[in-house]
Amino acid sequence: MSSETTAQKRAPRLTVDDVLNHRRRAGWSRRVLYVFLLAAMAWSLNVTVIQDTDWARMGSLGNVLGAAGRFAGIDFALFPTLIAPMLETFMIACLGTLVGVIICIPAAWFGAQNVTPFKPITYPLARLAMTLSRSIHEIVWALFFVSAVGLGALAGVLALAVRSVGFIAKMSAEAIEDIDPGPVEAIRATGGNAFQVMLYGVLPQVLPQILSVIVFEWEINIRRSAVLGLVGAGGLGLVFFRQMNTFNYHGVTSVIIAILLLISAGELVSYYARKAVI
Amino acid sequence: MAMPLLPDRPGGGNVLPRLAGTSRSDIVAWKDAGMAILEVRNLRARYTVSGPEILKGISFNVEADDFFAIIGPSGAGKSTLIRCINRLVEPTAGEILFFDREITKLPRRELRLLRRDIGMIFQEFNLIDRMSVMDNVLSGRLGYTGTLRSLFRLFPREDIQRALELLDRVGLIDHVDKRADALSGGQRQRVGIARALMQDPKLLLVDEPTSALDPKISREVMALIKQMANEFKVPCLCNIHDVQLAMEFCNKTIGLQDGIKMFDGPTETMNKGNLEKIYAMEVL
Amino acid sequence: MNRPPQSPLVTPAGPSACHWSRFKFPDSLIRYASWISVLVFLTYTVEYLDIPLDRLLGMFGRMGTTLSTRYYPPDIGYTLDVGYLSYVVDTIHMAFLGAIFGLIASIPLAWFGSFNMSPSRRWLYPIARLITMSCRAVHEMIWAILFVAILGFGMLPGVLALTFFCTGFAGKLFAEEIEAIDVGPVEAMRASGANQLQVMAFGVFPQVRVAFTGIAIYTWDVAFRAATVVGFFGAGGMGWYLKRNILQVETERVAAILLSIIILVLISEIASAWARAKVMKMN
Repeated sequence: MSSETTAQKRAPRLTVDDVLNHRRRAGWSRRVLYVFLLAAMAWSLNVTVIQDTDWARMGSLGNVLGAAGRFAGIDFALFPTLIAPMLETFMIACLGTLVGVIICIPAAWFGAQNVTPFKPITYPLARLAMTLSRSIHEIVWALFFVSAVGLGALAGVLALAVRSVGFIAKMSAEAIEDIDPGPVEAIRATGGNAFQVMLYGVLPQVLPQILSVIVFEWEINIRRSAVLGLVGAGGLGLVFFRQMNTFNYHGVTSVIIAILLLISAGELVSYYARKAVI
Repeated sequence: MAMPLLPDRPGGGNVLPRLAGTSRSDIVAWKDAGMAILEVRNLRARYTVSGPEILKGISFNVEADDFFAIIGPSGAGKSTLIRCINRLVEPTAGEILFFDREITKLPRRELRLLRRDIGMIFQEFNLIDRMSVMDNVLSGRLGYTGTLRSLFRLFPREDIQRALELLDRVGLIDHVDKRADALSGGQRQRVGIARALMQDPKLLLVDEPTSALDPKISREVMALIKQMANEFKVPCLCNIHDVQLAMEFCNKTIGLQDGIKMFDGPTETMNKGNLEKIYAMEVL
Repeated sequence: MNRPPQSPLVTPAGPSACHWSRFKFPDSLIRYASWISVLVFLTYTVEYLDIPLDRLLGMFGRMGTTLSTRYYPPDIGYTLDVGYLSYVVDTIHMAFLGAIFGLIASIPLAWFGSFNMSPSRRWLYPIARLITMSCRAVHEMIWAILFVAILGFGMLPGVLALTFFCTGFAGKLFAEEIEAIDVGPVEAMRASGANQLQVMAFGVFPQVRVAFTGIAIYTWDVAFRAATVVGFFGAGGMGWYLKRNILQVETERVAAILLSIIILVLISEIASAWARAKVMKMN
């Protein structure tokens, strides 16, 4: 008995209830969040799925499956005609990435805190441009460029270029902000000008990371360029659109397979290229 | 004041400012005239406007055949002092005369021409890790190389020749095409020395060249710097935390403590009392 | 260029006139060959895609005039209309549902598709990877068109398209996160006799919780960006308005809609960046 009382005196012992109460209190705010999310989900479900859907027109599950079943089948006759659009899509992706990289050079330079030439103006400017470029969907960019330079591959190239700038420039700027300032100081001490400091002090340190980001973005650009044709910017998207409009559903499946092939090839190349640069 | 008659001496009444910096013959002329190549007068520096003052009025002279050691406890302002001289750190007050030319107010372009006359060797070597040893050494020549040439790394033949000879002198001729990060610490510092000498410097700033190296290599590197400085007749200003090395290699010493000069004179005149003053509380 | 004479090197026996070139023979050949092939490919690409290089600069001038005469001033009043605003709300609903469903689907997929934690490396791992990869590879626009073709116009196909998109997006990031965990706690759990699900819940989940929350918020962000345009092909939301006005060549309204999309996406991006920063701080 006496030993128990001394132990209680030494430290106020936690009871099972204390632990449970503490847990309950800690989980409280999280539970509010979950309830809120669930309520929002229910509301959204009601608005989008239950009210908006024309269930009668969609018909029974059988009808839906039937509609889906139309896509089961491959139009092999289409494949030879797909080679040219595939090449076009691939080329749009390459050129778009290249132009994007060129635009990135000033963007990353201005957008890295430690090298930006005039911080109060150039830094926020570059950051704004990056956010704008990343925020807007490639389809919107493509629509914009189609209306500006007309239908064709050029609009697609420009759309991809502008869309890729944000990500590449952001990652590059972050890489530049992380460099070791030592070599930069050394090049400045030899009397190099600002350009030489960038070229010898900064660039060699960040090149592998930037190359890896570029390859990654190139891979994503292949995926993007496959749909730009939907709004008139050339490539596989255009064929997809045409097959869809002529109700050649097996042809649609063929186009999707072509897209998947192209993307898988891109992913493979990108995987090994990124391994090689790092 | 008796001055050597040099028609193109900076600030010597010439209307046009001289862009090409200092030429090699100036060192000889300055030495013959017994004048200081570098005069630092009442130098003050702080990093931020409200921050503490790092250098509190430092003055000293460097002459043509000096190998100066700057010693002092860490945080005394040794690195800042060195960096003020090629203005990697901007001094807040005071004067620096390099070949009798005030340099603290030089505009950007002139500053670059000044910097290519002052070689610098760094504590952490500050090499470009992903470039070859050769390119690292050649990068010492950037101040003399045009922007377009440096973009394609098209250095003139004589620069490459000089780089090869320097690499041979520092004992790295077999590592020319290796990447800088494949070398050991001592070898990396030798590349740093070759890069600084590539500039054909009229003054060598050396910032703790040995503190990233082990004692044996440290001695070798110091000996190499000393030998090269003698051979190329370049005065040296060397930050060093190791008093033993300073006593061994340097003919003059400046002792700094908390931004104030506590000692200035030939190394052999320095005694225990001076050292205690410099390192005030620190146990030697 | 003004090159002052250099001090002579006092070299006793230097390698005089040593020939050094940056690239030795096989290297140099490969290097030049690859540069030339890249250049050839680029030239061919420009030729093949029929990009009018000579008119390119003039094009940008014309772009400026088009923008300033036809798209300016944007018809802001149009986007403040109740009908349009209700479409904006619909878009938010769609993005939210798509993100939630996608996240729910991607958690088991990430578990099965992470090499270190997958319950069955032979069967579940490749299947989960395949599903995630195909969800990712097919662009959200294509998903939207396919679902519209199957289910008809409306928001349901939009939600489904976004769900597939988010599954692919979050599934990959989640799996990468799980593959990067510290295996110590997992081994401890296994040693205490926990089953697969328990190992997941007590050994893995606490380690990735914060990262998962960050990815979830990011997924919402991406989903919203996509939701603004899936309507372009009839899958609900404000994209439909965009399409209608483009077809009717109501350029000033198009400009206003584009502007509203940009502003909404920026708001969502800022909000999600704030939320992610907060989650990271809670860690």
